[in-house]
Amino acid sequence: MKAILADDEHLARRVLREYLENQPAIEIVAECANGFEAVKAAAEHRPDVMFLDVQMPKLDGFEVLELIDPDIAVVFCTAFDQYAMRAFEAAAVDYLLKPFSEERFRAALRKIEQRKGEVRPASLPVELKAAVRPAGEYLERIVVKDGARVHVIPAGKLDYAEAQDDYVALRSEGKTWLKQQTIASLEAALHPKRFVRVHRGFLINIERITRIEPNTKDTWVAILTDGTKIPVSRGGYQRFNSLVGG
Amino acid sequence: MHPLLHSWKATLLYLLAWVPVGLPFGLLMWRAGSLTALEATALTVPVVIVLAFVCITPWFMCRALPLRSTNTLRLYGQWALAAIVVTVIVTMVGRVVVSSLSGALPGLERGFTAVSPVLGAMSMMIYLLSVATHYVVIEAQTSRRSELLAREAQLRALKAQVNPHFLFNSLNSISSLTASDPMRARQMCIQLADFLRTSLRLGERASIPFREEIELTRMYLGVEQVRFGTKLRTSIDVEPACGDCEVPALVIQPLVENAVKHGIALLDEGGSILMLGRIVKEGMRFTIENPYDPLAPNSRSGIGLANVRQRLEARYGGAARLDVEASKDVYRVTVVVPVNAS
Repeated sequence: MKAILADDEHLARRVLREYLENQPAIEIVAECANGFEAVKAAAEHRPDVMFLDVQMPKLDGFEVLELIDPDIAVVFCTAFDQYAMRAFEAAAVDYLLKPFSEERFRAALRKIEQRKGEVRPASLPVELKAAVRPAGEYLERIVVKDGARVHVIPAGKLDYAEAQDDYVALRSEGKTWLKQQTIASLEAALHPKRFVRVHRGFLINIERITRIEPNTKDTWVAILTDGTKIPVSRGGYQRFNSLVGG
Repeated sequence: MHPLLHSWKATLLYLLAWVPVGLPFGLLMWRAGSLTALEATALTVPVVIVLAFVCITPWFMCRALPLRSTNTLRLYGQWALAAIVVTVIVTMVGRVVVSSLSGALPGLERGFTAVSPVLGAMSMMIYLLSVATHYVVIEAQTSRRSELLAREAQLRALKAQVNPHFLFNSLNSISSLTASDPMRARQMCIQLADFLRTSLRLGERASIPFREEIELTRMYLGVEQVRFGTKLRTSIDVEPACGDCEVPALVIQPLVENAVKHGIALLDEGGSILMLGRIVKEGMRFTIENPYDPLAPNSRSGIGLANVRQRLEARYGGAARLDVEASKDVYRVTVVVPVNAS
């Protein structure tokens, strides 16, 4: 079995390495000190398991989880996050509370064995991220994968999102990024006063809308600052109006 | 708004409570003014109702004239004036009642002239009694509120003392070192214990010399140094005169902890935390500066900052300052506290 260790503290990685030395069946293929490296290493080495810290530079553990293959078994290693516990249970094979014993570590390995072949639903990491976000706080950035690299879109730089089957197409700074996520979950994560769902398939950054023009009897068209035209449904028109107080 | 006027029920109950006051009042009118029972009732009922509402008004004046901070002379003067005004109003209401009923109850006129001094004196007495009662009620409310505030502040201080994230991560570092470097593991155990012991001890005290706060901050950074290694670099430059300034315990260490947790820890290469303490015109100024990743997933300052801000406010009111400046990649927190104003 191939394993990746992702933790920004070298002493924390050292414990994992020490415990894994007693497991000849598991080979450490990479050690990462930040989230970008973790995503890159996951794409390069295609590991079976990843031991993942939550608080890391560049990308946190949840964002890494969003971007790696759903068939990689993830074990979260974290110091203390009372409210996140249940969320961990849902999305990860196991979670280890630092400091943990070698015995507890072996129990996590057994769980990985048992759950081999299970694939995480794509929506889970996003929901997990929502579950650990305190009430009243919204997503400040969206992480997307650009080949093996990671691209971060600050919420303010997102022009609009368009639903495309299992994906959303994110339009930002003249480029389009694809991410495996539903538009509804993206809408739920973003600030409701800054983004408006003008249509079943479209979510727009309210600052990009210059005007809304009538189209047919029950539909409208939103004109964005760069001239893009986005269809607006009756419900979307109402949502927009209630948001701008019109 | 007076608490008795918040609901109809409360107002009604309050007016009912005036029935036992009205009875002897009426009795007195009846006896002193040799009025008939009907005349005494006709006079007493409206007067007592007016008095009942007048006796609510001290609520507003009591708060404008707090017992502790009002000059005694002014206090007596204001209340004497109020009592006289109330007496005049009640007597005038009596007179209006009498003149409007003079057709039906001709005996009232003569009797009222006899009872009006008694009426005035009793109204004044009852009014002043109500003033005293209001002061007692307000005092009780204030002390209960300040007790609650003090307890909350204590709880917050306790919470601020030990951040579980820091504690468990440090224990994890120790767990790691026990295998690879037992001597350093032991050293870190001792450092962590020293920090915990000191922060518990300081947390019990209302204020401490700034020197001790800085010492605690150094202990904290010593532990973090083991966790982060060369990623964490620090520089503390505090003017000696700052050391004697009395400050609330644990206002600086949580801010430095923020700088580590939300700043240095989330930077790949780490960085330097610069701390600067100076005596300035307004008092003592302490600045904490650290690089940060503005795009980091969790670079917000969190609970620690709000906690410190509240505690500074509780202690100094508006006299202390806590400023936060976040430039492109540098985060700076400045605390200014008045010197020896505690």
